[in-house]
Amino acid sequence: MNPSNKKKDAAMAVEIGGLKLKNPVMTASGTFGYGEEYADYVDLNQLGAIVVKGLSLKPRLGNPPPRIMETAGGMLNAVGLQNVGVDVFIKEKLPFLRQYDVAVIANIYGESTLEYSQVAKKLSQAEGVHALEVNVSCPNVKKGGLSFGSDPKAAAEVTRRVKAETHLPVIVKLTPNVTDIAAIAQSVEEAGADAVSLINTLTGMSIDLKTRTPHLKNITGGLSGPAIKPVALRMVWQVAQKVAIPVIGIGGILTAEDALEFMIAGAKAVQIGTANFINPRATIEIIDGIRHYLQNNKIKNINDIVGTLRT
Amino acid sequence: MAKDIYMGEVAANEEIQIDYFLMKVTLPLSFSEPLPGQFVMIRIAGLHDPFLSRPISIYSYTRGKSNCAIELLYRVVGKGTQILAGLIKGSQVEISGPLGGSYSIDHQKKNIVFIAGGIGIAPLSLLAEALCRKDCYSAAAMTFYLGAQTADAVVGLNRLRKLCYNITVCTDDGSLGQKSLVTKAFQKDIKKYSPSDTVIYACGPKAMVQSLSKILDGKYFCQVSLEERMACGVGACVGCVVAVKDGQGKLAYKRVCADGPVFDLQQIIWE
Ligand SMILES: Cc1cc2nc3c(=O)[nH]c(=O)nc-3n(C[C@H](O)[C@H](O)[C@H](O)COP(=O)(O)OP(=O)(O)OC[C@H]3O[C@@H](n4cnc5c(N)ncnc54)[C@H](O)[C@@H]3O)c2cc1C
Ligand SMILES: Cc1cc2nc3c(=O)[nH]c(=O)nc-3n(C[C@H](O)[C@H](O)[C@H](O)COP(=O)(O)O)c2cc1C
Ligand code: FES
Repeated sequence: MNPSNKKKDAAMAVEIGGLKLKNPVMTASGTFGYGEEYADYVDLNQLGAIVVKGLSLKPRLGNPPPRIMETAGGMLNAVGLQNVGVDVFIKEKLPFLRQYDVAVIANIYGESTLEYSQVAKKLSQAEGVHALEVNVSCPNVKKGGLSFGSDPKAAAEVTRRVKAETHLPVIVKLTPNVTDIAAIAQSVEEAGADAVSLINTLTGMSIDLKTRTPHLKNITGGLSGPAIKPVALRMVWQVAQKVAIPVIGIGGILTAEDALEFMIAGAKAVQIGTANFINPRATIEIIDGIRHYLQNNKIKNINDIVGTLRT
Repeated sequence: MAKDIYMGEVAANEEIQIDYFLMKVTLPLSFSEPLPGQFVMIRIAGLHDPFLSRPISIYSYTRGKSNCAIELLYRVVGKGTQILAGLIKGSQVEISGPLGGSYSIDHQKKNIVFIAGGIGIAPLSLLAEALCRKDCYSAAAMTFYLGAQTADAVVGLNRLRKLCYNITVCTDDGSLGQKSLVTKAFQKDIKKYSPSDTVIYACGPKAMVQSLSKILDGKYFCQVSLEERMACGVGACVGCVVAVKDGQGKLAYKRVCADGPVFDLQQIIWE
């Protein structure tokens, strides 16, 4: 690698709870499969990190269809965390990801604090997982998930249990479906979280006028896509002011400009979700766009713009 | 990286019957030759309403010297297809594909039966073409049952006539061909087709496929192409699932885009 490339790359590097990333752009859980689904479209080596689909202890069937519905500027989903389970992930999906020089973040989910800690333990012993993202915020499953995420004490307890089982950096993913998201963020920070990521989807619904039935079999689902960006941005800004640990911004990011807004609001890194569905190369275009922004504005290092909002 | 999002150019987009359109899109040669049953995700670059791409089956494929072309046969049912219908020659569309799996064509059977409902003719027409190209034996073995609500909704018949000699057309109101459901018309003939000598390919509305499943009663080898709402089209979001029996006969949800869209009829679990 020539020195000028090296310098360029150093300008994009960020660190999240000890985990060094080439750049601040990751894929959001549940929108990029296990990486292999998009490997034909994207050079995975270029990504900051890949966050895989939420993993539970046992395989999960997920919710009955229909599971998705398009809405204005976004979509509703009620997938219900269908996944192969942590053991199959380690055996069948992780070897594929190990071929790449990219950070792999395992998103985990449990119906109890015990299940969270069991999944965390298994992943910590596996080769090729670089951090855990604890999903305490899924709106589409009956037990666990959201209920942990909407109570500061429960969220802290899950965080402690996961931390006790792992040497890996622990990111706690927060739900926007609460009154005071900053309070939850502070609570998991105190419990030892190395970073927080936000937001997960906002609960919503949509109705078929012809049949007067909900479009989703689950009745409600999680809203994602550009429609939620202003809400996500506001929450990232609020949380960033209250915690010292890194904040990862998620919600409706389609372009480099969107990503930069989140970083100015206080996010040290971002995740790209629904945008992948309409443009599989969205992540790469966003990375390039951020790089250009830095060059054009003579900003030496991406970290220099984090939390620089002028009010 | 083997796959890409292709910028396609609309070469033609004609209303062939009320609400039914035939669009021809030229693509670079790097767009691979599709297999019958495969589809594309199509959207208009930069447009955010509708937000998601739309899945449409590949109806035909031709390869020239400097580019290739696909045809899409579609029905206007909502906002997305309405916008497609408004595109004029020269418009740009974003296409990804060919996506999904295909019908399997390596059966040497005496009878090859197609059952199509409405727009379901699109993937089956490409399949018939592939079989004709494969060997003249297959071409002679084909029988096509094509159903629609009315004569106005029968599309693709002229092209089909060039591929297949035995075509039974049915409409719900008798405005063209037999006044019958397509599945009923097939059922009347079912004695002609012994299960061991017959392969059946189907595509159509859920109700049609479900009634076909009852008629065949698990005795025939039948492949069917299914539809579900899609977001990613590549297997990543797990949004487009259908209920099927897994290897052990237990309920599993499979992705229409990545595990399908073609499934063995016997695998499908009906509510
Ligand atoms: C693999 C596959 C192949 C397809 N091939 C063709 C084809 O060759 N020609 C064609 O005309 N149509 C095809 N479809 C259906 C087509 O995708 C939908 O008609 C289209 O997405 C509707 O978009 P819209 O914005 O016009 O309608 P919307 O406003 O989104 O919806 C209008 C109505 O269409 C239904 N609908 C929406 N999306 C789908 C979908 N993906 N599958 C089934 N119903 C849907 C909705 O439930 C609603 O009732 C295919 C679908 C799949 C999954
Ligand atoms: C289809 C789908 C599946 C998702 N699955 C998960 C999941 O398993 N775990 C999780 O923490 N978040 C999941 N999410 C939430 C996303 O990771 C992200 O937080 C959210 O979609 C907002 O970002 P976006 O607007 O960029 O999509 C899912 C989102 C979608 C659309
Ligand atoms: S549309 Fe995303 S998995 Fe099929």
